[in-house]
Amino acid sequence: MALLEVSHLEKTFGGLTAVNDLSFTVNQGQLVSIIGPNGAGKSTLFNLLTGAYRATTGKVVFDGQDITGCKPYQSARHGIGRTFQSTTVFGNESVIDNVIIGQSLHLKTGVWGAVMRTGKARREQEKVREKAHSILDFVGLADVATRAAGGLTEEAQKRLSIAMVLATNPKLLLLDEPTGGVNLEEIGGLIELTKKIRQSGITVCLIEHKMRMVMSISDHIIVLNYGTNIAEGTAPEVANNEQVIEAYLGARRVA
Amino acid sequence: MAELTQYLLNGISQGCLYVLLASGLTILLGIMNVPNFAQGHLYMVAAYLGFYMVMSYSMNYWLALVLATFALGIIGLIVYFLVFYPVRNAPEVNLFVAAMALLMILEGGALYVFGTETKWFLVPWSRTVLSLGSLSLQLQRVIVIAGTTVVMLALWVFIKKTSLGAALEATAQHREGAMLCGIKVSRVSAMAFIIGTALAGIAGVLIGPAVLLEATMGMGPLLVAFSAIIFGGLGSIPGAVVGSLLLGVAESLTSGYISAKYSLAFVFAIMIVTLLFRPKGLFGKEVWRP
Amino acid sequence: MKHIASPHAAGWLLALAVAVLLPLFVGGYLTSILLLIAIYSIVAVSLNLLYGYTGQLSLGHSAFLGIGAYAFTLICVKLHLGFWPAFFGATAISGLFGFLIGIPALKLRGPYFILVTLGFAAIVGVIILAWTGLTGGANGLAGAPRPNPIPLPWGGRLAFDSLLNMYYFTLFFLMVIVFVCRRLVYSLIGRTFVAISHNENLAESLGIDTMRKKLLSFTISATFSGVAGALFASYNTVISPDIAYYARGMDLLSYLIVGGAGTMAGPVIGTFVMMAIPEGLQIVPTLRTLINGVILLVFLIFLPTGIGGGFKTLLPRLGRSSKSGMERNGVA
Repeated sequence: MALLEVSHLEKTFGGLTAVNDLSFTVNQGQLVSIIGPNGAGKSTLFNLLTGAYRATTGKVVFDGQDITGCKPYQSARHGIGRTFQSTTVFGNESVIDNVIIGQSLHLKTGVWGAVMRTGKARREQEKVREKAHSILDFVGLADVATRAAGGLTEEAQKRLSIAMVLATNPKLLLLDEPTGGVNLEEIGGLIELTKKIRQSGITVCLIEHKMRMVMSISDHIIVLNYGTNIAEGTAPEVANNEQVIEAYLGARRVA
Repeated sequence: MAELTQYLLNGISQGCLYVLLASGLTILLGIMNVPNFAQGHLYMVAAYLGFYMVMSYSMNYWLALVLATFALGIIGLIVYFLVFYPVRNAPEVNLFVAAMALLMILEGGALYVFGTETKWFLVPWSRTVLSLGSLSLQLQRVIVIAGTTVVMLALWVFIKKTSLGAALEATAQHREGAMLCGIKVSRVSAMAFIIGTALAGIAGVLIGPAVLLEATMGMGPLLVAFSAIIFGGLGSIPGAVVGSLLLGVAESLTSGYISAKYSLAFVFAIMIVTLLFRPKGLFGKEVWRP
Repeated sequence: MKHIASPHAAGWLLALAVAVLLPLFVGGYLTSILLLIAIYSIVAVSLNLLYGYTGQLSLGHSAFLGIGAYAFTLICVKLHLGFWPAFFGATAISGLFGFLIGIPALKLRGPYFILVTLGFAAIVGVIILAWTGLTGGANGLAGAPRPNPIPLPWGGRLAFDSLLNMYYFTLFFLMVIVFVCRRLVYSLIGRTFVAISHNENLAESLGIDTMRKKLLSFTISATFSGVAGALFASYNTVISPDIAYYARGMDLLSYLIVGGAGTMAGPVIGTFVMMAIPEGLQIVPTLRTLINGVILLVFLIFLPTGIGGGFKTLLPRLGRSSKSGMERNGVA
């Protein structure tokens, strides 16, 4: 069942066309990787999906609803979660507070409840705290729950930013280079986490440069170049695609 | 009809004050992301300086203009080193608070030093009025328009045609990139401050003789200049010029046809409406996003 | 592991005890200063909610102070309603103005937001001066009443004609507002505010409607400043345009920042220190804004987290680990 349908999406910045007539579909439960050379428009695509950028033309349909032109907080409420290339967490807050903040969009308690500490408010705080703990368990950060987020290693911060997005209860998770800046030993752990997320029922869309990782875990790969998809398919299909090879390595010369 | 043209003419001369202030504001905003809340007060200080030079020391007006501008430039340099340079690496909001502190210092200082009585900045031609048919304009206001035009042309030449000006523009567009090109960003920033405050200085002595001097005369023009920047489009000096002139005319028309007391409120209302419906302004790039 | 009396609670109780007992030992003049400090502390606390905890720097709160004062007085004098209807009316009107100006202002970020709030403060000052029919212009308005006497359970009444009782009345509201702000800040909603103050884009990407939350904070902040305005009018019984003078808004911000924005005690400490010392040194009122500006600048450069922030970094060295806001409240 199609969860995300992108049709003829286009984004121009002045004279530069970052995304050009891009169309593709992501089915529920899939793990889709988006690859392509630098500047191919991958992060721009994520920005368009979440509403951080406004599309010039085109349509994005998510879970049956047209979300083209939504603002970022609205797309999050529809169920699209997103991490960023440069890790962003609330450095001054503790790890668990970060995950608690991540649940904010589902808050039911209003000002009155907050100030009067009504039973409903206290129950919600309890629920939020428990869920935060379980999410930290899930991503493997349970033992640093009370540490300041800014003091964590790069890899731990990546896990935290994933935990924060998981707290928003997404149906689709957009991971923007989750292993960027992480050293070789730690990548395995993040790959396992990504698989675990997909197994829990969340559809995952991944931007990555690490080919071995992409080839090993993806159900489906989309290759972007110059803002449009030049190839799609399973790992072997994509690896042997002439245009893909040309995009990455330059044209193949006949010996 | 003649009345309307008269108001338009007054408006343009009024707008020139805002042109000078708004250009200075735009440069300082562009260079260091510093909103110089004190820009209006610097204009006031310059007006008082010119007043004392001419009235108490019988200095030649034009000499006073040059000296006061120079003095304001030096004040700008001092302000840069004492107020903004020390907090340049702090979280950005600290810069804004520093700008507010500067405003407080000038506000408090002005009230203490200059008191609450109004003063009249007299020049030899204070009573001269130029007439053309049924239109008339004080000579000083004509000088304002001419002076502003000269200054803005000089500014344009400086920014577009000199290498220092290019460094200024480069730093405003991309601080790190400019650094990478070998531009001494702290020097360019200091220079930007000198220019920005000098513009307020010129405004003070040019417009001083055309208005009443009071310690509180700076805030209103600051707000209009700022409204002009929003209205004309953030980050653009031509936008600031157009916005300033348009708002000057709007203020003059409101003053003439409705009431002088509420013209500032009217200008502010224009800014609010612009923000609600067209936050980019007329020529603007993007509403400020960090 | 719950503390029966944490250092924080002890500190507040001590401060409260001093605030209650001090007027009994000092003369009427000093008590009136304490009363003013209490009123301005309320504004500082409300500014703290908006700036210290939601990250929005507003130079416009003098406007809400003025709107509160004038609304209160006008409802009493022109509509002939009593203290309490006027009090709640003035509070609501301040909040409404906060809401209305917040909508356009909060669409901007950074310096542009600040300038719109400054503009608003200046305009309100101008309108109060110009609209002589409504506000009396430069002559101001007289006739704001003290609170109605409250019947006591054991007979007799608590009247507010005396300075001392008016002081306690004001102190009561300061306590209530501090309490409400504290509960709000440490709640789940409060965590949202703090998130916005740290990184608004990140908060937005997590699904937080940042515009709505900022507007909520702004409106609450304006409402509380309106309370301060009404209290001032009731105490002074006479108001003039200088209650809304924009420089006062900046003075108040300097009290907050010097005291320590983003801490609960900061605004009260700052207001007390910055108002009591010039009073003690008999500094001329016209010089105060200048001095406040200089002190603010010095703190900005050397101790930007303010006095309260300085304490915060000291506490861990006294043996307390730095706990999150929610943990201190026994939530997490």
